[in-house]
Amino acid sequence: MIALVRLRLAGFVRTGRALAPVLTGLLALGVLYGGGGAGRPAEVYGVSAVLIFPVLAWQTKILLDVEPDVQRRLARVVVGPARERAAGLLAALVAGLAVVLVALAMPWPLGAVSLAGGPAGRPALVGVALGVWAHLLALPAAVALGALASRPITRSAGYGAAVLAVGVVGVVVCGLSDSVVPWLVPPVMATARAVTAPVTPGAGLLLTGWAALWVAVALAGYAWGRRTRA
Amino acid sequence: MRLDGVWLRYHRHGPWVLRQVDATIGPGEVAVVLGRNGAGKSTLLQLAAGVLRPSRGRVVDRPATVGWVPERFPADQPFTVGDYLAAMGRVAGLPGAAADRAVREWVERLGLTRFSDVRLPQLSKGTAQKVGLAQALLRPPGLLVLDEPWEGLDAAARELVPEMIGEVLAGGGAVLVSDHRGETVRLPGARRWSVTDGTLTEEASSGGSAVAVVELAVPAAGLAAAVARLRADGHQILRVREPAVPPAAGSPAPAPAAGPGVEAPDESPAPGRSGAPGTEPDGGWPALAGGSVAEPDGGSPALACASAVESDGGSPGLPGASLAEVDGGAPDVPGPPGVEGGAGSPEAGAGRAGVASEVGR
Repeated sequence: MIALVRLRLAGFVRTGRALAPVLTGLLALGVLYGGGGAGRPAEVYGVSAVLIFPVLAWQTKILLDVEPDVQRRLARVVVGPARERAAGLLAALVAGLAVVLVALAMPWPLGAVSLAGGPAGRPALVGVALGVWAHLLALPAAVALGALASRPITRSAGYGAAVLAVGVVGVVVCGLSDSVVPWLVPPVMATARAVTAPVTPGAGLLLTGWAALWVAVALAGYAWGRRTRA
Repeated sequence: MRLDGVWLRYHRHGPWVLRQVDATIGPGEVAVVLGRNGAGKSTLLQLAAGVLRPSRGRVVDRPATVGWVPERFPADQPFTVGDYLAAMGRVAGLPGAAADRAVREWVERLGLTRFSDVRLPQLSKGTAQKVGLAQALLRPPGLLVLDEPWEGLDAAARELVPEMIGEVLAGGGAVLVSDHRGETVRLPGARRWSVTDGTLTEEASSGGSAVAVVELAVPAAGLAAAVARLRADGHQILRVREPAVPPAAGSPAPAPAAGPGVEAPDESPAPGRSGAPGTEPDGGWPALAGGSVAEPDGGSPALACASAVESDGGSPGLPGASLAEVDGGAPDVPGPPGVEGGAGSPEAGAGRAGVASEVGR
């Protein structure tokens, strides 16, 4: 399966289609961090996690779509349907992790992070850790959304773009603090809000479990859809 | 491997593409899947290979290693031939050195050596098809599924396909192959599965009556009559090639084909179908009238227009026809006589037509 992950990542990078989401992400982060002010790590990273969520989902869709349908079926014959699906998701996670690392590193050279203490005297290092946690919660959810929007599931570019757009808008709108159905979407917004205040272990576990459950449901839907969509 | 009461449709409320398919193929067996365009041949092959999942029923005892050669190799990928095959070898579970060894072997056998550093999108259709063959054989398959494997291949590679199939069979594997070009005459002893309207039936063996392929040239103006006579004699037409310019006086064979580089729309109907010349409803005649044949290394280069005719006995006995080539390498092909591909039009034009026929031996 690792060989298939490598093959798909190589195809994704060599086609050059990785450039569009990466450049969009860099542009968005540049606007975010280029304002001149410096924020506390957790706050900066909380916003960053929300900002790159659509980029990660879009990138996942492109990565899964870039492989020709027949090549995907060839891979399915060789490694089996479950491993073929898993290899695509794993490749998307690896590619997404690279974007997350860039997003985490970018504010430092731009002077967008202040090492001043956080709320209730929270050390800056804890703020950084919370920011990493926010990104790591956003990444699997974005991969799951991108997978649901990919061509094997949606079968057309129009439906794929619609699923992606509705998903991203839904994450923001349903994630607002006064939303009545926050559980419909992964807790990207909720996490961004949470890291600006002292985070209790219980709240952290709740948000992590919420994100994990949402990802599990979304990926189960992806697996179910792929049963008849080779 | 066994297909047990398999039904398939692509959409929940769509039409059934395959219905109640029961079939078994064992180690050392080869089955040729026959049927009209759209009958469900490729669907059946993809079910067998594991690409598709049955809507009802099940596929059991599928070998662990399956090689699948799709009808069209997906060449739109940013890899060179060598890199792609090496990667597919590793995906198939071969360790690095073994994958490289297997790639070297198949690249050499299929004549891909000079294309090793060429990127896949730059390959011709036939060369890309060879890459498709190679990827399926990097790891010796327990089941080899070939969807129109001869499509676009040159003569040398076409000869290699039965050889590769023989190797898989000798290794205890099973082979499923579809073909509408009549190439499966090269597979002696093959079972014949016929897909018609979504159902699968196995054609009974004809008892091993031997046939041979004969290619011969006839005057294009008299092609329709020649085809009619051949059919009347019980021969089976497999293919027709485009007419060319008239040959030099006294020459037994006409000039090379007039339209180079373009594959004729070679749409052969289902076997066993009958019909008169000029009544092809699904593309037989346009191949004769408007298509051209790009087979610089296949058959006789002197043929301008050819139809392949199969016989279960007797000889064509065509007045005015000249024998261009006899291929005696088609042994023991069972199958009922009848029109498989056809042509015939009074507007065939000047020049001579090449006719390839299979006759009983």
